[in-house]
Amino acid sequence: MSRKSMYGTFVEGMRSGWTLGTMQLLPNMVMAFALIQILNKIGLLEVLGKVFGPLMGFFGLPGEAVTVLLTAWLSAGGGVGAAAGLYTHGTLNGTHVSILIPAIFLMGAQLQYVGRILSVAGINSRHYKMLMLIGLLNALLSMLIMRWLVL
Amino acid sequence: MPLDNLTPENGPVPLRAYVALVLVILFFSGWFADSASWLGFMDFNAVNGQFGKIGNVTFVGKGGFGARYGFLFALSLIPGIMLALGVVAVAEREGALHAAQRMLTPFLRPILGLPGVVGLALIGSLQSSDAGAVMTRQLREKHLLTDDESSIFGAFQFSSGGTIINYLTQGLALFPFLSVPYIKPLGVILLCKVLGCNVMRLYLYLAAARKQGAAE
Repeated sequence: MSRKSMYGTFVEGMRSGWTLGTMQLLPNMVMAFALIQILNKIGLLEVLGKVFGPLMGFFGLPGEAVTVLLTAWLSAGGGVGAAAGLYTHGTLNGTHVSILIPAIFLMGAQLQYVGRILSVAGINSRHYKMLMLIGLLNALLSMLIMRWLVL
Repeated sequence: MPLDNLTPENGPVPLRAYVALVLVILFFSGWFADSASWLGFMDFNAVNGQFGKIGNVTFVGKGGFGARYGFLFALSLIPGIMLALGVVAVAEREGALHAAQRMLTPFLRPILGLPGVVGLALIGSLQSSDAGAVMTRQLREKHLLTDDESSIFGAFQFSSGGTIINYLTQGLALFPFLSVPYIKPLGVILLCKVLGCNVMRLYLYLAAARKQGAAE
């Protein structure tokens, strides 16, 4: 166990919060808000909304919510930023964000995690595909559960 | 998260570790959110406080969009992230992780199909995906986990890696917008992780049964 004082531990934890916030969360947010703005300007947000409307409607979400899931797959922080951006834009409401939030993490950052988790942990690479599929299934299931919870 | 805090300890878990675990869970659960008494200090949002108002709104303003708005929005979240990680660090110092591990161990085999020895790695993986992965590798190298068991454990860690810390530091950005208490989606995440683990268990079981069938 660490010999540091409680105060020192508290401050050190806060310092790691500052590092995480400024080095990871902030760039992800700026990127995601910019991305939403770009998609909106070129009209792609509207197209995605129409194309994915029926599918996302199944989960009680507007079609545009697919942007959150696609971004989350690359980076959970990006997914969070996309959801915040769409909320600010007025496309998503509080219920939609509640339905999406577990899925953002459950299917989040899969490509990155193949290297950071699966290969570091020494998981049999034969199962990588199945593990990715399970992550996606978890995300879909969580949206159904949340939809039921927010009713 | 420093790995030296996550090395297994076989000695008895002191009572204060359990107290620290209960307190940290209560602090983030929002249990005391509506408490007007002195117990209100036990609520994350109450301690996090409020920004002052400029006119009718906070410094983040109203009607912003794009990269500039994203920047100010992210900046407004940083105090909460710092507070959350400070509190978690103190709870960890008091042994909350070991208490959680000790309480979980008997349930690992029936619920996840994993040996009790993974307890610490499992708790560690909820704090940091990297810590969980490194500890799993160590268990594997010591032959404490079979190939199948590590794949099942992989299913737990891979979906929502570093769950608790990532939810508290990144998910926090969405907490003000949620229509449910923020502890609920976290519960759903943990539930889905457990279910996903069992899908992997079933898949491996069926694959082994098929292999055996083919051999006979």
